[in-house]
Amino acid sequence: MIKRKLSVSPFSKIYKVLLFLFVVLIIWLSFHASNIDFIELIKGLSNLSKLLKQMFPPKFGNIFKIGVLTLETIGIGFWGTILGSFFAIPLGFLCAKNTSPNRYISYLAVMIVNVLRSVPEIIYALIFVVSFGMGPLAGLISITLTTIGMLSKFIAEMTEGIDPKPVEAVKATGSKQIAIITNSVVPQILPLFIGYYLYLIDSNIRTAMSLGIIGAGGLGVELVFHMSLFHYQKFFGILVIMYIIITFIDRISQILRKGMLDGTLFRQKKTKTKEIIAASSFVTVGIVSIFFIPTNLSLFAKGGMNIVKLIPMYFPPIWVNWSNIFIRILETLAIAVSGTVFAIIIAIPLGILAARNLFHIQWIRFIVIEICNFFRSIPDLVFALIFVSAVGLGPFSGVIGLGLHTAGFLGKIYAEAIENIDLKPLEAVQATGAHFFQRIRHCIIPQIMPSFISNSLYIFDRNIRASTILGVIGAGGIGFELVANMRSFEYNRVMGLIIIILLLIIIIDRLSSYIRSKVV
Amino acid sequence: MIKINQLKKSYGSREVLCGIDLTVQNKEAIALIGPSGSGKTTLIRTINGFVVPDEGQVFIDNVLLDTNNAESLRQTRKKIGMIYQLFNLVERTSVLHNVLSGALGFMDTGISLVLSSIGMFQKEYNEKAFEILTYVGMEDRAYDRVDRLSGGQKQRVAIARALMQNPEILLADEPIANLDPKASQMILDLLNRIHRDKGIIVLTVLHDVIKVKDNFNRVVAIQNGSIVYDGLTKHLNENELSYIYEFEQSEELVFI
Ligand SMILES: Nc1ncnc2c1ncn2[C@@H]1O[C@H](COP(=O)(O)OP(=O)(O)OP(=O)(O)O)[C@@H](O)[C@H]1O
Ligand SMILES: [Mg+2]
Repeated sequence: MIKRKLSVSPFSKIYKVLLFLFVVLIIWLSFHASNIDFIELIKGLSNLSKLLKQMFPPKFGNIFKIGVLTLETIGIGFWGTILGSFFAIPLGFLCAKNTSPNRYISYLAVMIVNVLRSVPEIIYALIFVVSFGMGPLAGLISITLTTIGMLSKFIAEMTEGIDPKPVEAVKATGSKQIAIITNSVVPQILPLFIGYYLYLIDSNIRTAMSLGIIGAGGLGVELVFHMSLFHYQKFFGILVIMYIIITFIDRISQILRKGMLDGTLFRQKKTKTKEIIAASSFVTVGIVSIFFIPTNLSLFAKGGMNIVKLIPMYFPPIWVNWSNIFIRILETLAIAVSGTVFAIIIAIPLGILAARNLFHIQWIRFIVIEICNFFRSIPDLVFALIFVSAVGLGPFSGVIGLGLHTAGFLGKIYAEAIENIDLKPLEAVQATGAHFFQRIRHCIIPQIMPSFISNSLYIFDRNIRASTILGVIGAGGIGFELVANMRSFEYNRVMGLIIIILLLIIIIDRLSSYIRSKVV
Repeated sequence: MIKINQLKKSYGSREVLCGIDLTVQNKEAIALIGPSGSGKTTLIRTINGFVVPDEGQVFIDNVLLDTNNAESLRQTRKKIGMIYQLFNLVERTSVLHNVLSGALGFMDTGISLVLSSIGMFQKEYNEKAFEILTYVGMEDRAYDRVDRLSGGQKQRVAIARALMQNPEILLADEPIANLDPKASQMILDLLNRIHRDKGIIVLTVLHDVIKVKDNFNRVVAIQNGSIVYDGLTKHLNENELSYIYEFEQSEELVFI
């Protein structure tokens, strides 16, 4: 019996080595395909340092205008989420097998939800800017649609995972479907739901920042405006504002989510002052922001009419020049791979420096965590935009944009993984006479590997979605083709490309969640 | 042979070891007892250089343990296996990998270093690991992850890891403190068997005096950093024990 097992083991080892070589090959090809050229990079860096010098010190220009745009951005994210939840709540229950009236409705609902959440927000915005015109309304609707997809899926998953006993009990009383949901399902999923909802608002406000880049309202519009006029100091001023807002919202949502988990939130007497301040500023800013979205009904109606007129023009989808499409798909994948590798390379030192248990120099940790937050708060499109002006158009700018933005996220995750390392085996292996390198290899690496792989894959998954739309600012990929066709009013081809993007995202999403379920 | 000579160690103003003299002959098995905080862990960690004494020396086979020379310290550590109260295994990896990591000190150069770094171990190491796993009765769990095992099983894996290095000395710091009575006895039996079969020094820190009486001939008791008893377990009587433990546990010490 032992003999048999021994013979299985070398095979799986060879398999692992082959897999490793395959991954290396893919990365090498991707670097090649996304024009990563180190001479270019060094030239770009000198351009970049010139650019950065021109950015200092940041200028804020008309404070009043910036204030209005800030609230507009928050409004797009906040109200887009709220609007989306009106549709998502019923849709989510229609998706969940245990609350849906029947199987077919469930299938249909799941399909709609998958499509809604897979289309990148920027693509919605591109379509709606055409019909509603430039401005926050297009951004608001885009956020709404994505929210419907994301939130419905979340509700459906939560609902399917609930404890069936209370549902049975309520069913046994002969209640109607809706009564079953409100009495036995809602109480079970509410705390998780609120946590996710806060996260969505947070993340949608971030998205709203980048939607402005293509004219869908908010601070992003101002950002592109300054960039196009080479007002680098004002450009930097807007970046600083973005960083401040996102940090602020992020902290508030963290306090509230923690309060939710600890059960101190919404409990009389137990609620902490910090939480009261957080909750009230959250609600105040949210409510105030609605006055900054021009909810002009006639505009809305006109846009609606336009959509109805435009939609048929997108059908039937057509695909011309398959070889070109194929090359763009490969380029998209290559940008995502290279961007993820780039993010990992930056995130590893950040994670090591930010880990509480490795270095005890508090201020270094603090600075590194702030750097991570900064990277996270600036949308990838904005980073890519900066690099488009420094190193020129093309996939390379996209790679850097994705890399920097996601490095912030990965850095934090790696730090957590390092903080969770069990150091006890380290001494035990040292006691056997292993040297430093061997201790790292055999005690530390195996402990952080699962988190490393699953989070890097998660980021890769996210970066595929992001790299499909980098083309809107000229940073390569299939989005480039999409925008070009949009500009020449080739709506049928746009639809063809959207379908390809959708398939790409869905396939990668499935693949990555499959692999992640295997490693953890 | 271990020879400890006038060993002193302080943490800040607190003197933890106050001049320890101890000689352990080859093939000897001894138990180390003493109240909590008396310095047992500190003492055995000076033997493999994890604690650097302020004064005094440790000799392993008549060679001075030099904690300043990293390479010679590493070579000495290869001769000394150690097992712990909390097992100190890498939980996420397989039993086999944990056992093989006991031989890392021998795979420190050339091809075996390269191979082991990509997770491949040469045949001789693999075979030896299986042999030892069979010896401790864990061969059928070789490919399981450590976090799926019970405490007693984990400790057997930890012992297997220590045996991988062909130790001349085995140090065990409260190896049964986290185990239930049945698993505890199994581990003590295993340590006894190792002592008998391999003829190596086994130095075990224990709390349970009855277990000491049942399993060991020689016992060393330490109190506030000084050795207060060194002799045969059968001569250890209630008076001595209540002195060692300062009466703190006297009600718990029931004799057969
Ligand atoms: N690294 C350290 N820094 C400071 N003090 C220490 C350190 N290690 C041990 N001590 C102190 O030295 C004393 C002896 O500790 P030691 O761990 O050797 O005791 P022990 O006999 O093993 O106790 P126990 O039975 O509880 O394991 C204790 O008072 C402890 O607080
Ligand atoms: Mg101890």
